[in-house]
Amino acid sequence: MLLPFARRLAAVGPILLVVSLLLFAALRLLPVDPAAMSMPPTATKVEIEAARQAMGLDRPVVEQYAIWLGQTLHGDFGTSIHMRRPVGGLLLETLPATIELSVAAMIVAGMLGIGGGLALFALRNRRGEAVAELTTTLMMSIPEFLWALLFIFLFGVLLSALPFTGRLDPGMTRPVVTGFLLLDALLVGRPDIYASALRHLLLPAAALGIAFAPPVMRVLRTSLVDVYQEDYIRQARLRGVGELRILLLHALKNAILPTLTLMGVQFGFLFGGSLLVEVIYAYPGMGNLMVDAVRNADLPIIQAVGLTYCVVVLAITSAVDALVLLLNPRLRA
Amino acid sequence: MVKLSRRVFAQGASLASLLASLPAVAAGKDSVTIGWPSDVTGWDPNQRFTPDAQALYKMVFDQPLDQSPSLKLIPNLVKAWELAPDGMSLALEFRDDVRFHDGSKMTSADFRWTFYERVKSGQKLDIANSFRKLKDIEIVSPTKAVMRFDSPAPTVPVWLAFLGSFIVPKDYMEKVGLEGFAAKPIGTGPYKLVEYQMNGRIVLERNDDYWGPKPKLKRVVIEIIKDPSARVAAIQSGSIDLTVGVPVREAERLGKVAGLKGELNPIQRVILLQVRNDQGFADQNVRLAAHHAIDKVALSRAFYGGAAVPLSLPATPGTPGYVDSFKFAYDPAMAIKLLAASGFSPAKPAKIGMACTNGQFPNDYDMARAIVAMWKKVGIEAELEVIEYAKYFELNRGNKLPETTLYSFDNATGDPEIYAGYLLNPKLPFSPWKDPVLGEKVIAQFNVADEAKRIAGWRAIGQEAVSTGACMPLLQSVQTLVRKTDLAYTKYGNGWVMGQTMNW
Repeated sequence: MLLPFARRLAAVGPILLVVSLLLFAALRLLPVDPAAMSMPPTATKVEIEAARQAMGLDRPVVEQYAIWLGQTLHGDFGTSIHMRRPVGGLLLETLPATIELSVAAMIVAGMLGIGGGLALFALRNRRGEAVAELTTTLMMSIPEFLWALLFIFLFGVLLSALPFTGRLDPGMTRPVVTGFLLLDALLVGRPDIYASALRHLLLPAAALGIAFAPPVMRVLRTSLVDVYQEDYIRQARLRGVGELRILLLHALKNAILPTLTLMGVQFGFLFGGSLLVEVIYAYPGMGNLMVDAVRNADLPIIQAVGLTYCVVVLAITSAVDALVLLLNPRLRA
Repeated sequence: MVKLSRRVFAQGASLASLLASLPAVAAGKDSVTIGWPSDVTGWDPNQRFTPDAQALYKMVFDQPLDQSPSLKLIPNLVKAWELAPDGMSLALEFRDDVRFHDGSKMTSADFRWTFYERVKSGQKLDIANSFRKLKDIEIVSPTKAVMRFDSPAPTVPVWLAFLGSFIVPKDYMEKVGLEGFAAKPIGTGPYKLVEYQMNGRIVLERNDDYWGPKPKLKRVVIEIIKDPSARVAAIQSGSIDLTVGVPVREAERLGKVAGLKGELNPIQRVILLQVRNDQGFADQNVRLAAHHAIDKVALSRAFYGGAAVPLSLPATPGTPGYVDSFKFAYDPAMAIKLLAASGFSPAKPAKIGMACTNGQFPNDYDMARAIVAMWKKVGIEAELEVIEYAKYFELNRGNKLPETTLYSFDNATGDPEIYAGYLLNPKLPFSPWKDPVLGEKVIAQFNVADEAKRIAGWRAIGQEAVSTGACMPLLQSVQTLVRKTDLAYTKYGNGWVMGQTMNW
């Protein structure tokens, strides 16, 4: 069982190396001068040249890459050009918020996707099928930033039902233990802070998750249709097992496997899609950091965030692979 | 240490989920929540020049000198100052009753540390550039110091109230180090920083031992909301009490909503066309024609609800460099005549490039497009390209800017050196105009110590620059602000919005 998984894990290292190389090369091709960007506008050419030497930008590109890679492997992501702070610290400050948001969005996408997939399957060949198909197409075709604005208008402004900026109510002080606010609130025994954080998380998570639900719905529906062609479903019916029981206990167990794989892949996209949603909801995560970094051509941050996205996506994909291997005996053969 | 069992943990989570459905308790009237469009770059206020963060820093830190709402230079931590007639030294006398947030007394040693020792020790600070002429700071007593310069420095008093000039505590900084300070900064300002989440929010609490007038509001929460639509929604929903930098039309619309007031406040920021002296703009006729062809009143009406004042000089009305009598006319006929003299017409247009930002200041891209359309009518064909604001300096250093760039320049002080001087000094990266005739006059003017001559010189340079087409001032920028009607604040001519001036 472990061999296929080990093979996939072994590929992670080379993938990361290639990604780091591409990231570094792409950013060096940009027509920006990090040394000039790191200095105030009133800096002289001599001062900029000194900054260039101090940053190692006067060395050959291959040497620059080797230095950067070596430092990165030791956990040193360099110093932000714009903020003049260690990039590692900035990542640690922002990553938990983005993970929290992405996980919440994935829960939304999963709940909507699996629930919707079951509904689509139940509606197959019925009058409501066309409406359901249209709804999923609509959900899929609206980008997450538009959902974000729609939700703000509907639930924030029109109904005043949910907050849509930041992570906590203004009167509350954020506890800092792990950086994961929901967890920290519980760790310090503050259910009021937990509640506020949860309320603040609902809209961005929904905006991010909703666009990812329709593919899950469709894959689950198709998988269920396939599974229902299998003999064991007919046999279950012959044994007099009820339809709901067949669906939930027999068919879903097998149909969920491709859905899980898809959700694993989607998590990567969802993690990357948090950029705009974080800006719109003033959510202090890594996406917000990245948007600023791009605006200021802050190469050390862009490189580090890009690499972090890659690591997270690979970690999630590997975890999903492991889960699928665990659930599907045929893949272990 | 409290131990949480799984049951307690789960019960807590369930209770919290129930509470989640309840509306948030409104903040009391001794606090205010502000929606601000950008964050600080860090909590070392001397480190980076960030004009939009200056008001945020001013709530936690104090500057040696300050500006009144009408932008007059006024005492602050420094209660008296005297610039030597030759501009080579500045004598300062500090207040004796100022304490940092940790209770330690602020003295001239902290001043020397901030402006001299930190820079000399190799710390990378932007204030090193603004006090480049500083040779030393002599401490005369705990309340007296003298700044000495290697060449005349007439604008140093102005810079002591400008970007990055905030006094930080020497002993505390040496004790906790730079990272420690950035994590837990203390100043002498009216508020103490109690919570900060990068790109999230800043929570300030009143410094009850403040040496100056006590702020009326106990708590100030600044939500960093970068998206303008989200700021509009936040003020409309009532989740914040005041915000700035919303689109002009939204400010006007929200001003009609019950309980809200929308304002378009002219500030010390000029919108202008920065100009090269070569390529398609080597010909003065073409430059002047380009300037005459721009209907600034129409731009103000279209993009700023008429609130942005049309400018003829690179200075705003009421500042020392502004000359009321100097006007540069909107005159399309004159533009056509000038272009004809150089062999151009709408049928055979002069071709130039134009750069602009998109989203750096309100309606920048749309305004650039409108200018391109105005030029087309008289016989100038401009190819528009969008650049990031941060790239302007780099392109200018590399001599890669097109003939003209739509540019917004912030000068909270209103001093003419920081307007015409910075915008036209060929050695500084703000100016793409590299012609030595005007350039040498500008550079020489930086060393004029006599105040009357200094101001007169900058006024003359501003007029000469516009008359020769070296610079095309367009509008005085406006700050859009929306607030709850029962929230009062002090309006500053440079757009500072600060918690210590607010009350319900």
